[in-house]
Amino acid sequence: MMQLWRDYDPGEFYDELMYDQHQPRHFSYKLLDYLKSMRKEAFAQRIVDSELEILERGITFTVYSDAGNIDRAWPFDIIPRIIPKGEWDCTEKGLVQRIRALNMFINDIYNDGNIIRDGLIPEDVVLQSKGYRPQCKGMQPAHGIWAHICGSDLVRDDSGTMYVLEDNLRVPSGVAYMLENRKTTKRVLPELFKLLHISPVNDYPSHLSAMLASLAPDDVSHPKMVLLTPGIYNSAYFEHAALAQQAGLILLEGADLTVGNDGYVYMKTIHGLERVDVIYRRIDDDFIDPLVFREDSTLGIPGIMQAWREGKVAIANAPGCGVADDKVIYAYVPAMIRYYLNEEPLLPNVPTWMCRDPHQLQHVLDNLPDLVVKPANESGGYGMLVGPHSSEEKIEEFRQLLIADPNNYIAQPTLKLSVSPTSCGDHIAPRHVDLRPFILSGKNNYVTPGGLTRVALVKGSLVVNSSQGGGSKDTWIVDDSHFGGLN
Amino acid sequence: MLSRVAERVYWLARYLERVENTARLINVHTGLLMDLPRDVEIDWFTLVTIFDAEMFYHANFEQINENNVMQFLLAEPNNPISLLNSLSAVRENARTSLDILPEETWEQVNELYLLVKNEMAAISNRRRRQQLLLTIMERCQTVWGILVNHMSRNHAYHFMQTAKHLERADMTSRILEMTSLLMAENRSESMRAAEGILWTHLLRALSAQQMYTQTYSSSVNADGVLTFLIRDEAFPRSLFFSLKAIGRYLWPLPQAASTLEHHQKIMSEMFNENLKELPAEMIYTRMDELQAKLAELSSQISQKWFHPDRSVA
Repeated sequence: MMQLWRDYDPGEFYDELMYDQHQPRHFSYKLLDYLKSMRKEAFAQRIVDSELEILERGITFTVYSDAGNIDRAWPFDIIPRIIPKGEWDCTEKGLVQRIRALNMFINDIYNDGNIIRDGLIPEDVVLQSKGYRPQCKGMQPAHGIWAHICGSDLVRDDSGTMYVLEDNLRVPSGVAYMLENRKTTKRVLPELFKLLHISPVNDYPSHLSAMLASLAPDDVSHPKMVLLTPGIYNSAYFEHAALAQQAGLILLEGADLTVGNDGYVYMKTIHGLERVDVIYRRIDDDFIDPLVFREDSTLGIPGIMQAWREGKVAIANAPGCGVADDKVIYAYVPAMIRYYLNEEPLLPNVPTWMCRDPHQLQHVLDNLPDLVVKPANESGGYGMLVGPHSSEEKIEEFRQLLIADPNNYIAQPTLKLSVSPTSCGDHIAPRHVDLRPFILSGKNNYVTPGGLTRVALVKGSLVVNSSQGGGSKDTWIVDDSHFGGLN
Repeated sequence: MLSRVAERVYWLARYLERVENTARLINVHTGLLMDLPRDVEIDWFTLVTIFDAEMFYHANFEQINENNVMQFLLAEPNNPISLLNSLSAVRENARTSLDILPEETWEQVNELYLLVKNEMAAISNRRRRQQLLLTIMERCQTVWGILVNHMSRNHAYHFMQTAKHLERADMTSRILEMTSLLMAENRSESMRAAEGILWTHLLRALSAQQMYTQTYSSSVNADGVLTFLIRDEAFPRSLFFSLKAIGRYLWPLPQAASTLEHHQKIMSEMFNENLKELPAEMIYTRMDELQAKLAELSSQISQKWFHPDRSVA
């Protein structure tokens, strides 16, 4: 298998597993020694095994395209990505710090609005956020928590610094794929688990279940908890079903629920109506209640917002929490951490220019070919410009967009994203990766050890989204305290 | 338990049973035709009549031959009861019930679906087709094995078992309809000569030959086969056994009283007369009636537990 690695060269990028072209990092040499000791055919067989495994277990996601909705097998690269535990412990603290501040921010802006009054964030920035819901004003959810499940995107630059790129607070997806990736590695490369101690990830569903239970109305001792899915045609349906199964939630759709005359939420069962106490919803705010939000929504439940406001049902994530999932608000998160917690941020933001400021806009316009430009409210990597990878026409198109609607855009330097060894047909090559850990917040906090590593399978590409051809890797948090050596 | 989920697992189980029964019937029938002289009244098209699918067949095929009948029963997208359509329904229902079924159920069903879909191109090859049918039977039994050994005896389980036995009774009654051919006064000489093979065939189509032999320790004859397949209390594919099982699994369901009453009525109408003494064409009629009654029972189940909010038409 050595020949697969012969031309491996991370070049100018930070490599997750290698110090340079030849030298593995102190925590990854065991993994790499093992992989390199395999015969080329044996390694290829493991890849075939993993593909078959994923196909037969029906691990899919849906891509919406002009050619119709296509169910694709989940793209998985069998070479894991490793993060040493010492580093991860600090990252984890930073993630918890960040989500605490974000929750305090959301609670603040729907209640007292102190942060606006104290002049840290302009009111119009909050109001421009597409996730802002005036219907949520005055609401005080249990424990003051709005974003119960957060999937933050982390990236590393060429210096090895880990940055927060986005806080996904609305209906973040990917955690079931994290669980499936680990299961696949265990089935396909079981020997590796003898070599290293790898933090287990499979208790996420029980933490999810405990967190949701902590949101139930006070008078309920055994809360009925459900997962609300838009249905089988949603791109993340596999995840919805898998999480429901593993966390013991009842998987249901809007049509299975109804709000009774007493204002409580009920599901339609073979026994008649049964009360529901906690809803883990995987549909957007916009669709949740046609009486309050989009009237044309057939996915939602009329009256559910009123039930939530009266504390008769808990909803995770809380409606309106998407206000903080906005690329302009993002720029203010370090300030929030200082304001609410009186602490210095442990995890840095990517430097961000706000185009709403004329000086910053000018800087952005002058440097467009070098920058990444993102609309405030899009997810999945849609509608953005990656300057260095774009044609002149594309850059001109964005220049006009920015001038026409500067408030809707931010810009960031094009990061030299870190790479990790990835199997690419007949050889192993460095490919760019990011990381999405999941943070649960209820009565307590929980952070997944590692998370979902996404990898851009195309050479040089920075786009890791699975909807746009990205793949994924199992992510290992490995205890490196006894390895010694280089760090 | 959600009404919608109850409906899905109910149909999952019915289709799963149908897939297995269809595979077995075609497999055994192929074996039978190899043994029969050409001029008997039983041919490939007999299979289509067993499924009452003559109309669908003629809408899709002009010629009656082995290839077309197999294509129709196994793969034809326009045939609502083609094996592939049934299996696809099993898969869709399993996919939307992942949260309440044992984890391996979906994996097994999905694997089987992918396998069958790939192999459909080869079904004109008799050897590969027979092999495929055996694999399908085995895999269906694997799925039932998982369900029986890993599922709590909850309402989901009760609905699935009700559905399985209902489907099974329907299939048994269809195969018993063939007796009208076998016992017809005007049947051909070749048919009379092949009697033994034919009655054995009925048993084999329901996996009943071995148990029949153990029970009667005598040669296979019309009387014995009819009694065994209709009234035997111990054999799990006899009509009596399946119908009784339906009652047993309906019983724990909420507000089951009126449905149980209906079920009891079917039982007594069926077993209070001695079918053996009926002329052959009456058995055919009785079986046809039974299928209609089972369909009615199924729609009553649907109305009571799956769609209570839909007004009675």
